[in-house]
Amino acid sequence: MKQRGLAPYLFLAPYLVVLLVFTLYPLANAAVLAFQQTNGPATRAFVGFDNFRFIFSDPTFYQALKNTTIFAACSVLVQLPLSMGLALLLNEGKGRARALLRLVLFSPNLVGQIFVGVLFSVLFTARYGLVNRFLQALFGWGLEKQWLQDPALVMPAIIIAALWLYVGFNMIYFLAALQSVDKTLEEAARVDGATRLQVFWNVTLPSMRHVVVFVVVTSLIGSYQLFELPLALLSSSNGRGPDNAGLTVITYLYDVGFVTGDLGLGSAVGWVSAIIIFTLSLLQIRFSGLAEE
Amino acid sequence: MLERFPFGRAPLWLLVLALASTVAVLLTQRLGAAARPDLSFATSASTHMEAYREAAAIFEKKRGVRVSVELVHSRALQTRLQNAMLAKSPVPDLVELLYGDIAYFTRGPLSDVGLVDLTERLDKQGLKERLVESRLSLWSSRGHAFALPHDVHPVMLMYRADILESLGIDVNAIETWDDFVALRPKVVKDLDGDGVIDRYLIDLPIGESWGVLILLLQRGVSLFDEHGKLQMNQPATVDTIDWYVHQVEGKDRIATQCGWGQSLMKAMKDGLALFYVAPDWRTHSIEMEAPNVRGLFRVMPLPAWTPGGRRTSTWGGSGLAITKASQHVELAWDFAKLLYFDRDELGRRYRATKILPPLKDSWTLPELAEPSDFFRGQRIGEEFAKLAPDVPADWATPYKGRAEDRLGGVVLHALEHFRAHGDDGLRALIQKELAEKSADVEELMNRNVLDKE
Repeated sequence: MKQRGLAPYLFLAPYLVVLLVFTLYPLANAAVLAFQQTNGPATRAFVGFDNFRFIFSDPTFYQALKNTTIFAACSVLVQLPLSMGLALLLNEGKGRARALLRLVLFSPNLVGQIFVGVLFSVLFTARYGLVNRFLQALFGWGLEKQWLQDPALVMPAIIIAALWLYVGFNMIYFLAALQSVDKTLEEAARVDGATRLQVFWNVTLPSMRHVVVFVVVTSLIGSYQLFELPLALLSSSNGRGPDNAGLTVITYLYDVGFVTGDLGLGSAVGWVSAIIIFTLSLLQIRFSGLAEE
Repeated sequence: MLERFPFGRAPLWLLVLALASTVAVLLTQRLGAAARPDLSFATSASTHMEAYREAAAIFEKKRGVRVSVELVHSRALQTRLQNAMLAKSPVPDLVELLYGDIAYFTRGPLSDVGLVDLTERLDKQGLKERLVESRLSLWSSRGHAFALPHDVHPVMLMYRADILESLGIDVNAIETWDDFVALRPKVVKDLDGDGVIDRYLIDLPIGESWGVLILLLQRGVSLFDEHGKLQMNQPATVDTIDWYVHQVEGKDRIATQCGWGQSLMKAMKDGLALFYVAPDWRTHSIEMEAPNVRGLFRVMPLPAWTPGGRRTSTWGGSGLAITKASQHVELAWDFAKLLYFDRDELGRRYRATKILPPLKDSWTLPELAEPSDFFRGQRIGEEFAKLAPDVPADWATPYKGRAEDRLGGVVLHALEHFRAHGDDGLRALIQKELAEKSADVEELMNRNVLDKE
């Protein structure tokens, strides 16, 4: 009996040890570090809330937050509707063509952010890039557009690259959810005279609400953790872009923590970022009504 | 046994796997320790690798030791070294760092720097006088040198000799930037009449700060002085940005941005710009990556700001540091001297990389006098060596990235202003922006409570 009582803990032990060493200890250490200033590898000093004071008085942090929020908003308002639209289209198709399209649309996600960043840095090249050539051929304009050098075009460039990367990925979630919607309910609504839009809005969408909320929350979290894509796309400026036009919160963290070398300040940025993500996710879940359920 | 194990088969197999992997890890560690070399050297420069491996073989034979040379991507090398130093886990004995990276490692009290202070060795062994002294600026903090400079990287201009000849332009007559800008009417043209300019004078960046930084260094303005004090806000900076904006924007512009990689190679081939800013490392990388422009280019010194002024600048660099945690510091120092101060070794490496060493007595090496087919028979090694003594100092600090970034911001805002309002209030805007951005960098610097020794 005594042996049985110990067994579950023994089996859990490896996971708990890993969790303790690689998650809880770094979290606790980061919480302590956020109140310290570090200088190179060896020296630390307690500075109270000074790291947080600096972050909230640094215009660069607000620029990073603004860029990241714009990206997050576009993820939710542009990327997800596109994913949903594609899912609806594919849900109606049949046979091999549908499977092939699904693979084609999903495949950008297989290569990862760094590859997409490098690829789009070539596509967005002024004068010789495919995007500029296409614009020039189609509209007689845009050949010399500096997508990655003009502060006004940097965020659109990142968003376009992210669209290519993630639209297909989110589409898979929506497609799976669409296929599990009760067809008899949709059929009943149609029989009652509902239009296609009414069926979608009043029957289909509510039926897949859990998946939609999940995708919105994960997209928001992913957006606020954006790092590799701008780093590869804007590699000559370490992911910041001209005049910090492509700077994200995590790139700002990397910059102050690992380039300037103040890990204390980096940890404080990490905590601020975690609180923002946590709050937004909570709000999203609350407003979607899932919390009550 | 299977039946007698108290928790069933699956847990038994899990236990077996756990034990087997533990034994495997222990064995691997023990075997790894037995195979560990006497010296380990990590570099991020793939072009140096072959020459370093040959040098390591010579050193091994001479000293009866084992040396490993490892190629690591620059970002990975910097991050892994930082983390290893933080965690006090094993680090290589020698590391070749990229320009700018050393600033992180030299933050804080000198006693905490994880790299060996080479100042005394350089002085006592008479090596300092043999180097281009300004190059130690990249690798020094508070008067202490923590790495040996690998290079000088004087900046010249590569130019399309064939096109300039056909236009009847003699580059020897270009002495100053004013002379250079005066070539505009002959060069900048819409060649096919489609309303898009097809040929510019020079490739200069708009959204990146390297163009302005090179020009500032040419004028003797480093963003920081040798004490780490910010020097960004100066009259020469205002003049340079004002000049720069007029060259990259507006109807009289002389410059376009050709970018990097394939787009740069295509621009060079097409003659989109006729002049390209070229330190020695860039001439070599273009030689490697764009064989289709072989024989089209030559190099010339930068035009000076004033007659008789400095005809070069500098861009980039790498340096060799010895880690304090090394168990074989003296052996590492001897290997470093072989790599950076041995004439035969430098000659071999010059042939492979075309990068001018900072060791002044190596500039008479026959390899530097070899004519280059790529540059129409020009002896480019000698051309770069002629300019090397004039290369300006470029002091490193952890805040340099932020300062460069802010300077780039000033240039962009000046460009926006010039686009909208022309010269009206342009200089005042540059002055105001420089003051604001300097204050911003200084705020980050001043909050450092640990760097006040």
